[in-house]
Amino acid sequence: MQIKVKCSCGEGKCPEWAIVELQGVVQSQPGFENRLQNLQIGTLCRPSSQESYTFTVGYHELVGTKVSLKKPILVLKKIKVPNEEGENLVGVEMNVVGIIRHKILFKTRPRALISRPDPTPTDKGGKTSTSEQG
Amino acid sequence: MTNGNSGGAEGVLGLPPSSSISVAYHSRFSSHDDLMLLEVDEKLLPEFLFQRVTLRGGPDEDAVLCTESKTYAIKFVGTSNSVFLIPPSDVSSEFIESNGDGNIAVASVLKVATGCMELAEVAPKLDQLKMFLSQNPYGFAEASDMEIDHEDEKKKPGLFTWGDLVCRIQASDEELRMGLKLLSAIEIDGYWRILDNEYMNRIINFLLHNITLNDWTFDSLNRDEVLVGLQADGFPLNVASHVFELFCIKKDEELCTWKLNEKPICVHLAREILKDGKMKMDTFMDKWTLKIPSGITASLDVLKGEVLTEKLGMDTWVYLFSVSSLPSTPADRFSKLFEERSKWGWKDLEPFVRDLKIPGHSLEGLLLKYTRRTQPNVDSEPVFSSR
Repeated sequence: MQIKVKCSCGEGKCPEWAIVELQGVVQSQPGFENRLQNLQIGTLCRPSSQESYTFTVGYHELVGTKVSLKKPILVLKKIKVPNEEGENLVGVEMNVVGIIRHKILFKTRPRALISRPDPTPTDKGGKTSTSEQG
Repeated sequence: MTNGNSGGAEGVLGLPPSSSISVAYHSRFSSHDDLMLLEVDEKLLPEFLFQRVTLRGGPDEDAVLCTESKTYAIKFVGTSNSVFLIPPSDVSSEFIESNGDGNIAVASVLKVATGCMELAEVAPKLDQLKMFLSQNPYGFAEASDMEIDHEDEKKKPGLFTWGDLVCRIQASDEELRMGLKLLSAIEIDGYWRILDNEYMNRIINFLLHNITLNDWTFDSLNRDEVLVGLQADGFPLNVASHVFELFCIKKDEELCTWKLNEKPICVHLAREILKDGKMKMDTFMDKWTLKIPSGITASLDVLKGEVLTEKLGMDTWVYLFSVSSLPSTPADRFSKLFEERSKWGWKDLEPFVRDLKIPGHSLEGLLLKYTRRTQPNVDSEPVFSSR
């Protein structure tokens, strides 16, 4: 079997995706597990001109940096295409849809912020919080 | 903190100093099992961007990734971190937010990746190629059958086109072509074939016979003359030409003269003599020198990697043992070699391992891994045995 790896990006201009990576797992408030779409996770801040970032999720704050990947990562999408032989069989193709060269990496333990209610109103449902595992 | 101006991946990566951006789950957030991450060396990137990459393998095999000239194993490396994947906010992209609010910049997480695939260059898996092509070797019977039925589109079993081979063999195009060349395969009517031994032998015998008959000099042959002769003997031109080029080399570009290629000729003749089993060395040498065309010296050196000798009592015996019949993966190769003999001197062993080419491994490294080396004293030859 041969699967072609296509690239619809055009000559060398692959859309650049981003990764925000943190240790542990982000949990949603109970009841929201199946309705995560559009739910806010948190706020990513860049306080100064350094490549230092904070990520605030619920009342936790993480501190991280922007990292250039040693090796780029391609985002591939598997697609089903009609088989050339025209029968009911379906062929498979892989398509390069993006490339990742940098990520914002958070390696620190979350710091609990002094608790006060968040002044920004949100109409998108419950907020999420971080929890550290492993 | 001011809000960053744009959303999506570019909003994250281009976040200006003293700004912030909201990170939320995408309107189409889900497991997106059809989306995968693949780590790729910078120098391999053009292969992907210019669509020169394929995945190959049978249903029971782990797929390999092939560029035009190399083969890579694919390994999934999981992570316990949360890897939020954020697409760009390009309006033409299929990952556009369905209810994006133009005023508020949001970086939307489409998927949480569980890991990333990595590539490792590997040797192509060509052992199966010989097996496939041996199912239906091309021989005298088929060659004589002039009734080529082009109407019959139904594929005959045991016949493989280039396209068939590409789908079944885990190797890049270039490596597959090299594999076919090493098998002396020939493409006939769109199918890749190997000639059966009897047929090959017949053609060579006619070739050598014609040289003597026409009083041609073995090192100054006219290709056209030779091929006309073979055609007159009943061999199709494509096959005759193929065999000619296996056993002759161009001597002079300008004058277009060719000569018999000593090594392939001598090896082939040795194989014919020894095909029924081992023989006393003296007997073999007599028969062999008799068959070899005059002008070519019969030297046992050319049979390195094709035969082995053993001492039984007072006599030395010789038998066929060809490196081409051994597996190409190091573990299996050494296993077979030590099955044949528990101990190998380096001089004997070298011709049977020098073709082992595994990316990232030297021959010394392979010997270290699969053999135990002893050297009785500084002057004697090292001896290798199984680990």
